[in-house]
Amino acid sequence: MSDKYSAYAHPEALVTTEWVAAHLKDPSIRIVESNEDVLLYDTGHVPGAVHIDWRSDLQDNTVRDYISPEAFAEVCSKNGIGPDTTVVFYGDKSNWWSCYALWAFRLYGHKNVKIMDGGRDLWVKEGREVTREKPKYAKVNYPVPAKRYDKEIRAFYEETIKHSNENKPLIDVRSPGEFSGEITHMPEYPQEGVLRGGHVPHSKSVPWKRAANDDATFKSADDLRAIYEKEIGLKKGDDIIAYCRIGERSSHTWFVLTYLLGYDKVRNYDGSWTEWGNKVRAPIEKGS
Amino acid sequence: MPYPPKLEQIIDLFEHLPDEEKRETLITYADQAKNQEPKEGDTFDLEDVRKDEECTDTVGIFLRVDPDKSAHFKVSLGPQVQTLTRAMTAILCKGLDGMKVGEILEVPADFVPKIVGAELIRARSQTVYYILTRMKSTAKVYMNRERENALS
Repeated sequence: MSDKYSAYAHPEALVTTEWVAAHLKDPSIRIVESNEDVLLYDTGHVPGAVHIDWRSDLQDNTVRDYISPEAFAEVCSKNGIGPDTTVVFYGDKSNWWSCYALWAFRLYGHKNVKIMDGGRDLWVKEGREVTREKPKYAKVNYPVPAKRYDKEIRAFYEETIKHSNENKPLIDVRSPGEFSGEITHMPEYPQEGVLRGGHVPHSKSVPWKRAANDDATFKSADDLRAIYEKEIGLKKGDDIIAYCRIGERSSHTWFVLTYLLGYDKVRNYDGSWTEWGNKVRAPIEKGS
Repeated sequence: MPYPPKLEQIIDLFEHLPDEEKRETLITYADQAKNQEPKEGDTFDLEDVRKDEECTDTVGIFLRVDPDKSAHFKVSLGPQVQTLTRAMTAILCKGLDGMKVGEILEVPADFVPKIVGAELIRARSQTVYYILTRMKSTAKVYMNRERENALS
């Protein structure tokens, strides 16, 4: 194991592109691509990788919630994922969406999960094999999860406002412009979907991207500690909530804090700014 | 305004495809987007290359207008532009090719869901409208310039 990985709290949660290339045919592993670009998987992917779309596969859009445990078991089953399968996620945008998919798998208690460091961009940049052939796996029995771990790793509005009122660690991972209220969406995207700009009172701004290197890999443990511990003062034992616009960028930060820095209680507020910014009587702050 | 004939043909093709084939056809169009880039030595009447907030990378729109006012577009796309936007680029370059420049402004945008399909029209997919908007904007600038030249 490299020095970089051994310095993380849970180095087993990250694998290199080289490791993935050596395990493409390992039956105990399923490689899952999850992207923002909805057609990117179809243009070519890691051989043997299946596609799990964060909207159509993992969300129940009729109630703005995640799918039922029964539906999750079916998603796993049809992709040849059993309860003991090690699922290695990767995707575009420095692994935003793969972290989101991993977080969703953890919601249902799937234990063996990993991220391919550097994601899709690094795999392609290194000239590794991609294919358009979609793999077919035999259905596997995946028992319906007995519970969903909402309480442990997910925060709702009521919990987040309580957190804000009690001045507990609350991290806004959006861009500085979104945090200040100048814009209501990422700088390169249409400004849509929310009525007010600003941030949750008492939240601190740490854009998610600060945890990623330019090649889409995660920063070293020392660099991450400098950001989250020295700059904003997180301490072991803290009860932390992270949020963004819909919970996808904050999944990246959730992964960093949980697996790379080893915080035991980190929750992702997936309602995030699209809920808070629109909610009647939800207090906001503006400015940096 | 009815859709231009070349675009109508493409819409008709997509409307009769099942979802899986629709995705595959979109990928084929996305692959063809690089054929719509301007080549060395090409000359244009108007070039508009910029990176703005509606798109994740730089997009260049290149307009050539024939003496009979028929318009022909070429489009350059940065590497981060999403696959759907690449597909729409190839579709629009082919579908609008040869239209009179004034007619470009009248092309209705309601064909996009017919091509892309309801499943792919989601919050993040609004950028599929972006290339058409940029083409119309370039056509409008061209027409305004021509009008000013005629008056001076």
